[in-house]
Amino acid sequence: MSSAVIFPAQPENILKGLGKLWTSLGQEEKQQGKPTVLRACAMTLIVATDEPDSGFAASQTISELMHAHPARGIVLAVSPDAEKSLEARVLAQCWKPFGKAQQICCEQIEITARPQSWPNVGPTLVGLTVADLPVIFWCRHKGALRQAATKEEHAGLEAITSLATKIVIDAHDMPASDTVTLIERWQARGRVIADLEWTRLTPWREPLAHLFDVCECKLSDFHSIDIEYTDERPSMAALYLAGWLSLYRPKVSFRRVGGYLPGVHRVTLHSDSKTIDFARTGPDSAVLHSASGRECTYNFGEPAVTALMTEELALMGVDPAFNAAFARVRELLPDTP
Amino acid sequence: MSVVVQPLPEVNPLQDPLRFSRRVPPCAIVIFGASGDLSKRKLLPSLYRLFYERRISPSFAVVGSSRTPMSDDEFRHRMADSVSKFLEDAPFDKEVWDSFAQCLFYVPGDLTNPDSYDDLRKKLDEIEKSHQTAGNVLFYLSTQPSHYAEAILELGAHGLNRGNGWRRVIIEKPFGHDLLSARKLNDEIHKVFLESDVYRIDHYLGKETVQNILAFRFGNGIFEPLWNRRYVDNVQITAAESIGVEGRGGYYQEAGALRDMIQNHLSQVMATVAMEPPTIFDATNVRDERAKLLRAVRVVKSEDVPKYAVAGQYGPAKVGGEDLPGFRQEPSVNPQAQTDTYAAVTFFIDNWRWADVPFYIRTGKRLPKRVTDIAIQFKAPPLGLFTQETKGGLRAARPNLLVLRIQPEEGISLRFLSKSPGSGMRVRPVSMDFNYGSSFGERTPTAYETLLVDAMSGDPTLYTRQDMVEASWQIVQPILDVWANTKFDFPNYAAGTWGPKASDEMLARQGHVWRIP
Repeated sequence: MSSAVIFPAQPENILKGLGKLWTSLGQEEKQQGKPTVLRACAMTLIVATDEPDSGFAASQTISELMHAHPARGIVLAVSPDAEKSLEARVLAQCWKPFGKAQQICCEQIEITARPQSWPNVGPTLVGLTVADLPVIFWCRHKGALRQAATKEEHAGLEAITSLATKIVIDAHDMPASDTVTLIERWQARGRVIADLEWTRLTPWREPLAHLFDVCECKLSDFHSIDIEYTDERPSMAALYLAGWLSLYRPKVSFRRVGGYLPGVHRVTLHSDSKTIDFARTGPDSAVLHSASGRECTYNFGEPAVTALMTEELALMGVDPAFNAAFARVRELLPDTP
Repeated sequence: MSVVVQPLPEVNPLQDPLRFSRRVPPCAIVIFGASGDLSKRKLLPSLYRLFYERRISPSFAVVGSSRTPMSDDEFRHRMADSVSKFLEDAPFDKEVWDSFAQCLFYVPGDLTNPDSYDDLRKKLDEIEKSHQTAGNVLFYLSTQPSHYAEAILELGAHGLNRGNGWRRVIIEKPFGHDLLSARKLNDEIHKVFLESDVYRIDHYLGKETVQNILAFRFGNGIFEPLWNRRYVDNVQITAAESIGVEGRGGYYQEAGALRDMIQNHLSQVMATVAMEPPTIFDATNVRDERAKLLRAVRVVKSEDVPKYAVAGQYGPAKVGGEDLPGFRQEPSVNPQAQTDTYAAVTFFIDNWRWADVPFYIRTGKRLPKRVTDIAIQFKAPPLGLFTQETKGGLRAARPNLLVLRIQPEEGISLRFLSKSPGSGMRVRPVSMDFNYGSSFGERTPTAYETLLVDAMSGDPTLYTRQDMVEASWQIVQPILDVWANTKFDFPNYAAGTWGPKASDEMLARQGHVWRIP
C-alpha cells in the first residue's frame, strides 16, 4: 500500500501522508472487529543510494530487514535522473508471520532528489526521524562517499551524519586509502562508524578467536601472518583482518590468489613451532586447521547484505574491536601491495 | 551457598563479546542414555546447532553412552539421521556435520555395570589429549530417573567426579516423585558432587520468553511499582496442551498433570513472575529470590485441598470431526486410571507483596489449544466512571490485563481502555502488543541450546537448585497425598474443552473466572 507522490516533500506533508496510510490500514481492523495490524518501529533507518533503480534495491533490502529490525525506513535516492528536485511518497511494508492472524507493518518513506537538492535533504530528514529512537544512516551513495572521502566537506551528507546514532558504509568497492580517510574524518567528529567489510569478517574471526581460549595457544607466539585475498588489491576486509590480528605487531604479508569469492581467501598464522590455517575450501565452506592439527569445517558463503546489516543493526554503540583493528589498518596501509 | 564459576585460562585478546556468542570453554559432554529420545530429538540437534553457529569451542567432544552396542561410527550415523530429522528452524549441512561428527564418540555400557565407567574414563582421557578438552567434563543424565542415584554414585566411585578440569552433572526432571524421594536423591547426589556442580534442568526456564519475564520486570521501571497486592487482583497461569498423552500413557498415568507440570515448570514460572528483584543479576541472587518465593507459598492443609485444587481427566469426544479417545482409552493406560490429566490449583503467597492475591495455575491435556501464558489481572479503578459496550449491552468496564505469552505467539499484551470514537463517553478495551518474534525477527535459540551453553559456561541461573526443588515439592505434596487417597469420578471433562466444571467453581468462590487464552 503506498501513497501518491508528495510534493513539495516537506516533513509535515510526508507525516500527514503517513497518518492517512495508518488510518486506511485501520479500516480493515474496524471491519473485522479485531486487531489485524501491528505497527512496529524500533529505529529510523535512512538509506541513501545512487543506484540507477531509484532506490528499488534499497527498498527491497529494507523490507527484508524489517523482520528483524522494524523501523521507519527512509530511502533517499539522489540521482540526476530524478523527475523533481525533491519529492516523496509513503508506503507500508507489511508481512504476516506464518500462522499468525495479524499483519506486522512498518512505514517507509521514499524520497527522490536531484543532486543539487542535497542541501535540502538534511532539513527534511530532521523532521522525519522517529522521536526517542536511534537513527541509523546507511550510506550506499557511492558518489557522495567518494566526494566525502576526497574533498573536505559534503554538506548534504554531513547534515545526515549529524543526525545519525550510527553510520554504516560498505567499503568493498572503495579504495582502501579513501575508506581510511573517510572513517578517520568521521571518527574525529565523534561519529560511530560501521563498515560492512568488517562485518563480513565475523565468520572468520569467531573460530580463530576461539582457538586462543586454550591456554597452550597464545596470540603473542605468532610472529607472522599471511593473508591471501582474491580482489585486485587487498580489500578493507583483508586489511581489517590483518589489523585485528596485529595486536603484538607480527610481520604481515598479503598475497593475491585465485579463489571462490571476493575478499579474504586464507589466513595463516605462524609461530616458531605451530601454524594455524583458515582457508576457504569452496564458495560455502572453510576449513580451520588449529595449532594442534585438528581440522574443523565451517559453513559460510558470501553473506547477503541483509545478513550483514542485521548484525550491524543489533549493535548501536561504539565497536571497540573495530576501532582497534581500524587504528592498526592505518599503520599497515603503506605496506599493502 | 556459593557458585564457583571457573575462569577461562587467560584473557583472550581476540574475543569480541559484542559480536561473538558467549565463550564456551573447552569440554567433553557425556550423555548417559544417548540412544534415547531426548538425545535424538533435543540434545544432539541442539549441540549440532551450536556447532553450526560457531558457538562451541573447537576443543569439544560428545561421548554418548547407553546399553546399545555401537561403534563411534555407528553412533555418528544414527545421530546424523536424528539431527537431520529433528533439527528445528535450521539447515542440516553435510560438511559441517562431518566436522561435528569427528567430535562424537560412543562408549557402550550399562549404568549398573562398574566396568562401563572404567571404559568411559579411558575414553575421556584419550579425548582430553586428542581434543584438548582441558579435562572439563559435563555429565548429562538422560536416563530413567530411577538410575540417577546409582549412576552418580558410580561416577564418584570411579573418580570421574574429579579431574584436571571442572566436572558438572545435568539431571533431567523429575527430581524425585515426591518430597521424600527428592530429598533422598539430593543426599545421594551430594555424596559425589557439590551443589554448585549440579545442574537440574527445567527446560521451561530456558525458554527465551520465560527469561524475558525477568527483563520485563526488572529492566523497566514502570511495571514494578504496580506488581503487588495493591494493584494486582489475581494472576492466572495456563499451560494447555491440545494433544493427549501421545504414546506416553504408561509414564503419564504414574505422573499426572500436577507432578508433570505444576510441581516443576509452572511453579518455577510462578516464582519468576512473583519473586523479589535480586540485588545483582547473577545465579546465586536470582535463585535465592526464586527459592525464597517458593518457600513463601502457603502449604495448603489436607482438609482444604478440595477447596484449592481440582483434578480432572479427559473423556472421549468428537473434535473437528475426529473421534478423540478418552485418557482411559489411550494405549498402555489402565481403563480405571485415577490419573489427573488436568490440574488446577490456587496458591497464595504469604509475603508482604502478594498476601491474599490468588495465583491460579492450570494445566491439562486435550484442552482446546496449545497455549502457555501468564495473565496479570489488575484491580479495577476505585470508581467505575465508564461503561463498556459488549454484545450483551453496556456493563462496567473491564480492568487492565497484562498477558505474558510464553507460547506459541511469544510476546506481551497490555489491555487497556480507550474511548470509542463518536459522541458519548463509551470505552472499549484495546490491546497494546509486543510480539517477540516480529520485534527481533531472528531465530531464537531453543531452550536446550540456551541451557547447554549455560551449563558448559558454568552459569546455573536458569537451573533449579536443591532448595527450589524441595520447596516446590513441599507446596504440592499435600495435594498429591489427598488425591492419592481420593476416588475420583473420572472422566470429568470432555476432550477439547477447558477442563472440569469444578475448576470454574474454584475461581468463582473467589469471585473470579478463568480467562480464555
